[in-house]
Amino acid sequence: MNPVLEIDALSVTFCGKQAVHAVDRVSFSLGGGEILALVGETGCGKSVIAHAVMGLLPGEAQVSGRIVFKGRDLLALSERERSAMRGKDCAIVFQDPSRALNPVHRIGRQIAEPVLIHGAGSREEAHRRAAALLERMGLSPPGNYLPLYPCQSSGGMNQRFLIAASTILDPSLVIADEPTKGLDPGRVREVEDELVRLTGGGRTALLLITHDLAVARRIADRIAVMYAGEIVELAENDAFFDRPSHPYSRGLLQSLPEHGFVPIPGSSPSPVSPPPGCRFQARCRDGKAVCGGQHPDLVSAADGRMVRCWQCR
Amino acid sequence: MSLSADRLARAYRNGFLPGSRRTVFRDLSLTIRPGETFGLMGNSGAGKSTLGRVIAGLEPPTAGRVCFHGRDTALMNRSEYRAFRRSVQVMFQDPSAAFNPKKTIGTSYMEVLDLIGTPRPAQKAVIAGILESVGLSGELLGRYPHQISGGQSQRLALGRILLLDPEYIVLDEPTSALDVSVQAQILHLLKELQSERGIGYLFISHDEAVVRFMASRVGRIEDGRLVIEGEA
Ligand SMILES: Nc1ncnc2c1ncn2[C@@H]1O[C@H](COP(=O)(O)OP(=O)(O)OP(=O)(O)O)[C@@H](O)[C@H]1O
Ligand SMILES: [Mg+2]
Repeated sequence: MNPVLEIDALSVTFCGKQAVHAVDRVSFSLGGGEILALVGETGCGKSVIAHAVMGLLPGEAQVSGRIVFKGRDLLALSERERSAMRGKDCAIVFQDPSRALNPVHRIGRQIAEPVLIHGAGSREEAHRRAAALLERMGLSPPGNYLPLYPCQSSGGMNQRFLIAASTILDPSLVIADEPTKGLDPGRVREVEDELVRLTGGGRTALLLITHDLAVARRIADRIAVMYAGEIVELAENDAFFDRPSHPYSRGLLQSLPEHGFVPIPGSSPSPVSPPPGCRFQARCRDGKAVCGGQHPDLVSAADGRMVRCWQCR
Repeated sequence: MSLSADRLARAYRNGFLPGSRRTVFRDLSLTIRPGETFGLMGNSGAGKSTLGRVIAGLEPPTAGRVCFHGRDTALMNRSEYRAFRRSVQVMFQDPSAAFNPKKTIGTSYMEVLDLIGTPRPAQKAVIAGILESVGLSGELLGRYPHQISGGQSQRLALGRILLLDPEYIVLDEPTSALDVSVQAQILHLLKELQSERGIGYLFISHDEAVVRFMASRVGRIEDGRLVIEGEA
């Protein structure tokens, strides 16, 4: 089966007073029904990848590589073609629902809106689809929810409404950027269920960007770990959590509360002038001289995972 | 030298039904002492952030008092009130709100120092010291808020607060935008700053493990009431 999304050597540089190399030759692919979690240090480039795929980067961003969505290279399309796709066939769910939803409109109108914007149906049709979608989400009867304003429901509920509004046109690709941030554990589970339901049909692919490793562990099929603009490990869920391979991945899991909040010492290198060798070397316990000299590639390990580390070979 | 809430209540007008009010919390009392962390939990929408804003003087209580150094903040004169507002800072859930989008981070930092009267020539060293304690490189100072990631801006927001040398900080979900390693770093950093400077924290989070790691006393807002652990 062809992947829904195939990213090949994607690089993004912001050209300001200083050039910021935010994303460096990132490649991965994502199939229908699959959930890929993108995790990693704050500032490592996860949201920039999301914005590159959606075509939402600012003008000063220089993008190279290929982003192939259902066989078409998105970087070769015009802005018009891309905006016709946005919200229809590929959708993004931003983290902060209180800002992404409009406070003065009822939920029903906001969920139905994409149908009207993309000319996918009449007002009645849009309303009917919004109701049917809430029903499928287990929010029944929909009549109880459609007339609400965002301030009348909780953050968790609003996040589900936002997911509904983003997915009403049944996109093939959904990118969710920190969809559970700031929610209490009960609400987190609700959003997780929603995301799993979304991919359940086997057609929609989900790129899940999250700092919540517990969420990634519960719902993702594969985990991609980024550090300083690069993917440093890409593995199946179980393999990753049972045996993280890259020293950064191991450090990340060690920082979890169940391991006593032990942080990785130091901080990540500047994206303005990344070091020539392994970017994690300065903070790595296993680092050797060779690591600082030459840049390691992302290579397949024996168990099929991909790792970027001289010492893990 | 404590910061306390005395039988606080906060209600909002319910926008849709005239005359009706929604009570967020009521009869809520709590004391935080220098160098101490009070951990505050509760479900989404329980009123944790509202309590944080009321205690820091950002919105008035509907009933009850906020006391700083034993003085009712509602009865303070101008200079006392200013000192209170400067000494009790809030670090918000959404770090991007802390900075003016039209100014570079460095400019925002300098404005804070201008405000408290740090002479220009001394500012550079002060800022360098703060950046070091929050673990960031000086290169970020030339950037605008939209040019930095969530985690970087959270550290910068903490740095900006530290410039003011506060006695208390209300930390509202301070690490929910951070990866777990940087979260662990920030938690350790907050503890260090606390023991060095004796800052008191009101630490608000959904994450029970994080709250237990940080706080000596823990309470939970349930149905508008504060239930403090170990107190009947
Ligand atoms: N418009 C911009 N101009 C310059 N640099 C930028 C711009 N937008 C983002 N960056 C930089 O690109 C890098 C990647 O940022 P990004 O927002 O993708 O991080 P992230 O992985 O999503 O982090 P977080 O987990 O904190 O959300 C960061 O160093 C950030 O400062
Ligand atoms: Mg991000």
